[in-house]
Order: sequence, then structure tokens, then C-alpha cells
Amino acid sequence: MGEAVTTSATRTDAVRNIAVSVRRVSMAYPAVLAVDDVSFELAKGSFLTILGPSGSGKTTLLQMIAGFQAPTSGEIVIAGQPVQSVPAYQRSIGMVFQRLALFPHLTVAENVAFPLRMRRFDARTIPGRVERYLDLVRLPGLGNRRIQQLSGGQQQRVAIARALVFEPDLLLLDEPLASLDRKLREEMQLEFRRIQRELSVTTINVTHDQREALIMSDEIIVMDRGRIQQMDRPQRTYRQPANRFVAGFIGLTAFLPVEVRSVREGVARLRIGGAELQGTVAGDDTLLPGGAAEAALRAEQVRVATTGAGLRNLDTVLEGRVEDVIFEGERIVYEVLVDGFNEHRVRAFDHDPALHAEYPIGAHVFVGWNVRDLLVFPA
Amino acid sequence: MRHYSTAYPLSWRIFDAVEALAKRVWPARFAPWLPYLLLLPALLVTGLLVIGLIEIADSSLHVLDKATFRSSESYSLENFERALTASLFRNIGLRSFLGAILVTAVTLVLAFPYAYVLVRTESPILRKLLLIVLFLPFFIGQVVRAYGWLIILGNEGILNTSLSFLGIGPFRLLFNYWAVLFGLVQTMIPFAVLMLAPALTAIPKETERAAESLGANWIRTFQYVVIPLARPGMVGAAIVVFTLTLTDFAIPAVLGGGSNDFIANAIYDQFFRTSDAGLGSALTLLLIIAGSAAVGVALLLVGIGTLGLAGHDDD
Ligand SMILES: Nc1ncnc2c1ncn2[C@@H]1O[C@H](COP(=O)(O)OP(=O)(O)OP(=O)(O)O)[C@@H](O)[C@H]1O
Ligand SMILES: [Mg+2]
Repeated sequence: MGEAVTTSATRTDAVRNIAVSVRRVSMAYPAVLAVDDVSFELAKGSFLTILGPSGSGKTTLLQMIAGFQAPTSGEIVIAGQPVQSVPAYQRSIGMVFQRLALFPHLTVAENVAFPLRMRRFDARTIPGRVERYLDLVRLPGLGNRRIQQLSGGQQQRVAIARALVFEPDLLLLDEPLASLDRKLREEMQLEFRRIQRELSVTTINVTHDQREALIMSDEIIVMDRGRIQQMDRPQRTYRQPANRFVAGFIGLTAFLPVEVRSVREGVARLRIGGAELQGTVAGDDTLLPGGAAEAALRAEQVRVATTGAGLRNLDTVLEGRVEDVIFEGERIVYEVLVDGFNEHRVRAFDHDPALHAEYPIGAHVFVGWNVRDLLVFPA
Repeated sequence: MRHYSTAYPLSWRIFDAVEALAKRVWPARFAPWLPYLLLLPALLVTGLLVIGLIEIADSSLHVLDKATFRSSESYSLENFERALTASLFRNIGLRSFLGAILVTAVTLVLAFPYAYVLVRTESPILRKLLLIVLFLPFFIGQVVRAYGWLIILGNEGILNTSLSFLGIGPFRLLFNYWAVLFGLVQTMIPFAVLMLAPALTAIPKETERAAESLGANWIRTFQYVVIPLARPGMVGAAIVVFTLTLTDFAIPAVLGGGSNDFIANAIYDQFFRTSDAGLGSALTLLLIIAGSAAVGVALLLVGIGTLGLAGHDDD
């Protein structure tokens, strides 16, 4: 009976253009549940990023898709085929590893030709194909170099070419950019995106860098402690975090412990210390009047000014004192202690430091934001 | 909360004192020569061996005077001529070399999986067990071990007794070439494993997984990735096993029972039985030359770089 279910589900996958589906997959180690009942589907040609803190189960999930580990329970279907019994070397998956795992005893061209040889491609087509993929990753003519003679970015490109040259159904990236310096990393992020679009290969990328996830992905899965917290397009993940964890993990967010006074049509009246506030109930969470909750406020939604008049168009305007000033070059972060908020600080960006005078620590300022930007989560 | 003692441990203070002392007797500007100074003790110890070798070289050039049973005064190459032409020595030499080659090949084949499992196993218990089994023979010593084989493989030994219950045998399992080679392989496996393990440790698990995801099953992963990357360790292990086997004494003596002598046994006989130090010295020198030549040729074929002894600038 289980088989009949699989087959019909499989047929739907092919029809619906689904490249990968992960169904209720868990991985239990003796001490931890590394992946906890994860399900998602990925459309052909799309770019998914799994974003999460260290230890959230990203690598474990990727290893199960690649076939290096068997899930404790659940099912993985790739290109319409359940893959439980398919060993890693027979899955059509290209993988770029965190430490690249290039073969140091082979030249660049031999590295790229490796999957073609192992998969017994016609020997006459191999050199041409290797050349084409070295061109694709912009390493033309470097085929005879040894791996040790390449820079970090060039090695990265060889790893990409090697993972793609046999035209796999799926490309997996396990934080391959984590070890690069920031400039090179940003360059390679765009490079990955360009190549992925050019070949329209379905890709799953793993990272704990929120910026990378937002830049590169069609879809983002945010994971924490083995569970999916949210799966959404980047804009929605950013603007409408599903829960407190996602709100805190993406962007620079201040959390304020509040007491719920009342809730009407998605707007909550809140109390913090001696002050009254209004916020938007996040998602479809239910808040009970009188209960405790947490209000999340992103730094870029908060404006700072020396007079209340400058913030007239904002819903909420409060007075406070500058506690800390962090100069980040293209922007300045102010930490403001709002009168009546006890010790809880609000963070605000000034995106145009060139236009404004910098407020010194201790300065008396006004901060303001809109009700829709103060998101309230159950505590 | 763990408690940390704020005092520096005694060993640190001792080393600080040694450091201060060293600074006085060996000022910083001599620092570039320090490595050579530290090299000196090892050079001296090795150097003493060279003195012995010179002595041996000298005595190899004097023929034993059968009348007086003392070395003659005059220099001659007669000892070398005898060592190279007498069929007894030629047979012993061939037997030793052939044996060393066979033992090296078989030992590497057997040691490789052992080292691989030792390095890759995720079970700490299995790893400990493999390590104990590996080191046990070192504690027992070669002669006792060889004697142990007599007890097991002898005509009245455990194996033949067991077989007789099945109504077969007894077989002559001892005092032949195969018994010697068997004993040598058993002796050499730990050395080979110890040489191979670091080379295998240096291959990241990720590299093997990469090969697998690129379409190589485990046999091809071994053939095209693991074995080529483990080559430095394999060459090192081969050289160690080859030279140790070629010059082995105890195993051919005990398990060969005098009928399957290796070169070292022949040398021993010349020095301590027939008291022909000249001939013994000539055999010794020939063994050193032939052994070094074999290792040299092997290194030339695979490239000295393969041993992985040169320093790496990058990562
Ligand atoms: N082989 C293993 N045996 C036992 N526990 C493991 C094993 N591998 C991973 N874990 C545990 O599973 C959890 C998830 O690990 P995983 O490597 O998937 O995290 P990750 O999200 O990739 O983290 P990082 O960003 O640090 O790479 C962690 O708690 C980790 O300690
Ligand atoms: Mg990881």
C-alpha cells in the first residue's frame, strides 16, 4: 500500500515540475534530533537557500539529499524517483563542499573530467565538455594547472565546474563560500547566481549568512534546531517573519518584552514599563489580553531626529537618549533608550551619515516608527 | 563553573628556567644555528655506526688464513669474489630478495584495509581494539613470537592436532620458505599500518565523499582517489617493510629452522660460527649496497617527492 502511495505521489511530482521533494524527513543521532520532521518541495530550476545558525541541521539535511546518510524516517524524491535505495554515486547530484574537496593529485582539467570518466561518458566528448565548463566558470586555458597553483577563488570555480559538468539534476552547495574573504565571497555569490541562471539547474545552497540567502535565492528555508521555521521568498522572509526566531535571525532586530492590553483587527495595544504602544500581530498568532508578548522592531524601520516635528508622518513617536553610536561606514547605528522603556533599547539606522550631524552619546532625541513595523509575537 | 588554578604549573616554571638558561649560553643572534646544534646528537649516534662500517669495510678486504685462523695482512677482493660466486650465498641472496619483494607486496595489501578502518571507523571501541592488536606484537618481541608459531604450526602443534581430529594431516607446516614468509608478513604488518595511517588521515573524508557524489563507487574511489593520495605513505611503508624483511634474522632462523636462511643468518654464521669475519664483512657490505640500490631505484621510479618529506609552503 505504501508503494501505491509513493507511485502516485511520484507521478504528480513529474507533472508538477517538482525537482526535489523532502517528505517528513528526520535524522536522529544518539544525542540530538539533528533534523526534525522536515518537508518541502522545490520546483525545477529554482534556487533554494537553507539558512540557519550553526548546528541547526543544515549539513545533515544536505548529506541525506546527497545520499551520504540515510534518514531515520521520511522520504526523499529526486526527479520523480524515491532515492532511499539509490547510493550517492548513482544519484544525479553535483555537490560543492565546504572545503571544496578538489583532488590535489589531478590537474584542473582532470578534476573536471573526473565525473565524466566515472560516469563513462564517451571519451571523445570529454575534452570539449571540460573546455566548455572551464569557459563557463571563466577559467579558460587553465586546464593544465595543478590545483595548488590556483587562488582560492579559482579553486572555487573548478569545484563548481566539476559539480556541473555532468549536468546533474540537482546542485548542492554546503557553505562553499564561508571561508572566502568578504569581497571574494560577494563576487562568487553573483557568479553562482549567474551560472545557475545560465544552466537553470535546480540548486540547494546552505549558509548561515542571511545576506547571502537574500541575494541569491528564489526561496529561503530558515531552520533552527532541526525544524523548518519558515519557507518563503526572500522578500516575504524579510518583511513577514513567521516567528520570533526568524525575526531575530534576519536583519538587526531589537526585541521588547511587552504586556498585551487588547487586540483588535490585527493591531495590539501594548504596555512596556510606563509606556503605551501599538503593534501588529505577526502572522496568524493569537495573543491573549493580559498575556506577555515580544515586540520586534527592525533598525531600518526606526527614524531618529532632534525634534518630534521631523517624524510627523510616523505612527509612533517617542523621546529617548542616545546610549551608543556604532559607525559602520555606509550607515550609523544608534542605540536609543526610550523614556519609560526601562533598560530595553531600540536600534535605529541613519543611512545617510553624510547628510546629518552625528548625535553624540547622551543626546536627547526623538525616535519614530509605524505600527505595521512593530511586530508582536507570543512570548 | 570550573575552577582554574591561577598559579603556573611546575612544568611551565621549569621550562621558563631552562629558557632563561638557554638564553645565556646561546644568545639570540646564534639562533639560526640552533637547529644544527640540535641535530648534533643524532649525527653523533649515527656517526658511530659509520665508524663501525669503516671497520667492517677494512676487515672485508682481508681473507681468513685457514692455517692460523687469523685475518691475513694483505688486502684482496677474494671475500667478495666468494660471496658473489659461491652457490650457497647466491641462493641465500636470491631467497632473501625474492622473499622481501613478496612480503612487501602481501604486507601492503593486508595492511592497507587495516589502516583504513583504523583511521575511518566512527567507533572508538573498534579503533582502540585495532590499536591494541597492532601494538601487542611489539610488546611480545620477535623471537618469542616466532616461537609461538612453532607451538601452533609444529608437527605436534595445535593446528595439526586439530586437523588430526578431522582425519587429515599431519602437514609439514614449518621449516619451509612459506612458513618464513608467513612469519615475516605477520611481523611487518604493524610497521606498514603505522606508516600508512598518517597518510590516510591526511585524506579528508570530504574528498572521498566528493568522489562518490561525482559518480565513483567505493572501488573506483579507492582506485582513483584514496590510493593515489596515499602514495607517500605506501612508498614509505614499502621501503620500511622491504629493508626490514631483507635484513631480518629471527624469523628465518626460527621458522626456517636453518633450511631457509636469509642473508643476515649467513652473516651471523660467518661471524659467530666459522669465525670468518672477513667473509661476514663482505656479505654485510654487499647486503647494504644491494639493499640501498633497490631502495634507490624504487625512489627514482616513484620520485623522492612522493615520500612527502619535503616541507609545504602552502596550507
Ligand atoms: N555524525 C554525527 N554524530 C552525532 N551528532 C551529529 C553528527 N553530525 C552532526 N551532529 C549533530 O547534529 C546537529 C546538526 O549538525 P549539522 O552539521 O547538520 O549542523 P549545521 O547546520 O550544518 O551547522 P554548521 O553551520 O555549524 O555547519 C548538531 O547538533 C551536531 O552536533
Ligand atoms: Mg554544516
